[in-house]
Amino acid sequence: MSRLILPILALALGLAGCTRAPELDVEIDISHVVGSEPLRLDDAIYRNAAGEDFSVSRLRYYLSLPRLRRADGSWFAPLHPAESAEAYHLVDEARADSRRLRIAGVPAGEYTGVEFLVGVDEARNHAGAQTGALDPARGMFWTWKSGYIFLVLEGKSPQSPAPGGRFSYHLGGGEPSLARRVYLPFGERPVRVEERLRPTVHLAVDVGALLSAVNPVRIAQLPEAMDPVSARPLADNAAAMFRVDHLHHEPRRRGGG
Amino acid sequence: MRRRALALLPLLLVLLLAANGVLRQRLADFVESFPTPRAAVPAGWPAPQYDFSGNPVTASGFELGRRLFHDPRLSLDGSISCASCHQQFAAFAHLDHRVSHGLHGANGTRNAPALFNLAWQPALMWDGAIHNLELQPLAPLANPVEMGETLEGVLVKLRADAGYRRRFEAAFGPGEIDSRRVLLALTQFIGTLRSADSRYDRGELSAREREGLALFRRHCATCHREPLFTDYSYRGNGLDADSADAGRGAISGKAAERGRFKVPSLRNVAVTAPYMHDGRFDTLSQVLRHYASGIRDSAALDPALRGGLALGPEQQQALVAFLETLTDEAFLQDARYAEPLP
Repeated sequence: MSRLILPILALALGLAGCTRAPELDVEIDISHVVGSEPLRLDDAIYRNAAGEDFSVSRLRYYLSLPRLRRADGSWFAPLHPAESAEAYHLVDEARADSRRLRIAGVPAGEYTGVEFLVGVDEARNHAGAQTGALDPARGMFWTWKSGYIFLVLEGKSPQSPAPGGRFSYHLGGGEPSLARRVYLPFGERPVRVEERLRPTVHLAVDVGALLSAVNPVRIAQLPEAMDPVSARPLADNAAAMFRVDHLHHEPRRRGGG
Repeated sequence: MRRRALALLPLLLVLLLAANGVLRQRLADFVESFPTPRAAVPAGWPAPQYDFSGNPVTASGFELGRRLFHDPRLSLDGSISCASCHQQFAAFAHLDHRVSHGLHGANGTRNAPALFNLAWQPALMWDGAIHNLELQPLAPLANPVEMGETLEGVLVKLRADAGYRRRFEAAFGPGEIDSRRVLLALTQFIGTLRSADSRYDRGELSAREREGLALFRRHCATCHREPLFTDYSYRGNGLDADSADAGRGAISGKAAERGRFKVPSLRNVAVTAPYMHDGRFDTLSQVLRHYASGIRDSAALDPALRGGLALGPEQQQALVAFLETLTDEAFLQDARYAEPLP
């Protein structure tokens, strides 16, 4: 008898799924910039607020636990199974598909802003072996001291005293944590989520601001920040490097899309 | 003729089993019924820190973890396994090695700790750098002076091995070998290395050993708390006025914790020489002489050790006699933990 229950349940859910309205979502597209220029890895040279030249070879960071703010001030946060890493997204400038993420299951309505955690929350930072974006094989987990690297910025600068003129910033850990909550208002026009329209929020993320927004960093003085104490000034900058560049609403194709 | 037929019997049996789902399930059940070490808690012990409910120990999972633990292919050049520096006869410490040598003969900086009762540790390593037992194997795996490999590298090798693919599916069901499965299997092995059957546990102590136990309870048990023989705190034990190794201080960032290390369990201590985080002492007598007359003052020094422990030579010998009763021969010789057949 009990053997019959699962298939019947699955069938029932499947049928319900067929008749349900298409799932609505909001897409977030990320462009990395340095000031007003687009970021190009390795070969482009930029200048920071301290007047130092630098190039970027690696930019990776976690955007976690996204939630959308409704016009009335309440929040929508997608629900995920406890074990899953779906609420964690690893952005990597070297992987174009990683610069796009989707907030799924969004109820129809108007939204005035989005919030993320830049980094990984304490519970997941201290949990056991995980999967998806939190898979330690992604190379964003410190092996000698447990915890995720929330953000990596690596590059070269003639001003760096380190070998090869390299600089490396690995942000993570910390008490209190270097993870930062970032709220980005959409501006005057809200994001409209409805069956006809698919909204996309374009974010501009400024590496220049990562080096200077709150605590100006000189590569000459800080060629390396691998521990929470020396990386803390950068964490405050990281919280200020995001802005909403523009919004898009496009007709939603039938069948989800 | 009859002999040849007999030789074919196992093959026939295997074919029969493969063809029959029910029989295959019976075989799996039979394998699961082997006496695999389980996550049981000995009487009078506290609850373990590691929660096995998210990683239930099975015969196939434990056996897989045991295989991985003993497999040198987990290192970059196939030369070093976990078991290279964690030998069962030394309670999974590294006998005669102050520090261990990894890839290309490079030396580590700390003495390889003994491995048992790890499920009770709130944090792993001499400095408590690792929070969760499942993530512990990553540290030696990735350390360039230990196994020097990446998780990606390990996964490529394991996925290319049909034997491992089969073993992983037996342990975790259909699906690709991923880092989580590797770490969970290793945890099933290292998390069930349980040592709780020494003469001390059985209460078989001589009069002299009893005398040592009384001294132990008076002078040592604050930090080496029974029944696990550690309180898992980080303390300075007066080895150096200025420690070359930052120890716990490197993890906590607190200057006062520079040179503090986790109190190690004393179970099996007689077989885990050399001693201390840097393996500087070769014998238990040297260790006790240090506590009696070798303590050096520093900011990190534990107040209980200031001025040393009041232990005469006779008492030191009685303490050594007691410490030797903490050796768990059944654990050291337990065939379930030994290197598996190829």
